[in-house]
Amino acid sequence: MPKWFIRAAVVCTVMFALSPFVIANADYESTMGLVQKIFYYHMPSAWMFLVSGIVCGVASVRFLITGDPRHDRTAWAAAEMAVIFGVVTLVTGPLWARRAWGTFWVWDARTTSSLVQWMVAWAYLILRRYGGPGSDKLAAGLALFGVANVGFIYISVNYWRTIHPATSVVPKLPFTMGFPLWYCVASFTLLFVLLLKMRIRLEEQRATLDSLYLSLDEQH
Amino acid sequence: MSLSMRTLAAGIVTVMCLSAPVVAQAPPSGQAPKNQSEYVPIDQLPPQDQLPAAPLLIAAYSFVLIVFFLYVLSLSRRLTSVQRDVDRLGATLKQSKS
Repeated sequence: MPKWFIRAAVVCTVMFALSPFVIANADYESTMGLVQKIFYYHMPSAWMFLVSGIVCGVASVRFLITGDPRHDRTAWAAAEMAVIFGVVTLVTGPLWARRAWGTFWVWDARTTSSLVQWMVAWAYLILRRYGGPGSDKLAAGLALFGVANVGFIYISVNYWRTIHPATSVVPKLPFTMGFPLWYCVASFTLLFVLLLKMRIRLEEQRATLDSLYLSLDEQH
Repeated sequence: MSLSMRTLAAGIVTVMCLSAPVVAQAPPSGQAPKNQSEYVPIDQLPPQDQLPAAPLLIAAYSFVLIVFFLYVLSLSRRLTSVQRDVDRLGATLKQSKS
């Protein structure tokens, strides 16, 4: 791993260790009270969930055009990030909703399309693991559906009637709530970059291992 | 009656038949639904009906931290295992060349 990775990992760990203190100092939302503080982890993880879908889709397009396995490795790593950040989003959201909406889940446009996106990421990983030869291109096609769904997830709260807060909430936040949010967004973004880098590194090492096995076969 | 007119008439009758249950379930006009006047703000609910926020908050934050901790652990174990295989095969390849 490069030197910057270790430094960034230390910074990320410190940021996450300090985040409860930053969040505790944030103002209480008037109607939801304490439970609204789930927002500071829920929304950044949801953003990283969507970013994972975009990275996976863009890398898949580049792989389909160029055939460069580096793009394929990036897409595979990003799909795994989508599963991880997706599960965080889909668990923290209902825990917040239980108190705020009185129910864990509603089948509205935002929550349903987010669940579909998470299942697309799972489908991508299952396809890569058990799909056999040619599954890389098939999975890349699936990732294109995923990236199209990202746009739908983002705009869904503005176009369909839903109880999920709209995208206009974040720009209107006062500093006392905006600062903890952007602090957490920075922490989650750094975590996303580090995990993605680690996961790509794993695929690179697997590719090296495959080439070593081939070289050994050729010698015998 | 032409074929298109018959198709249209059949369509209208079908839609009317299918919409009958919806009309039957709708409340009479000008009358509010039964429970609409029974709304109670969440902070005015009796204590046994109020959900405490702290357990949900703690559960959410614990879940996030546990998921990321386990994922980092899993990734580093997979990386270590692959790295060990790469080193072992590299050494075997060097030996067989010399």
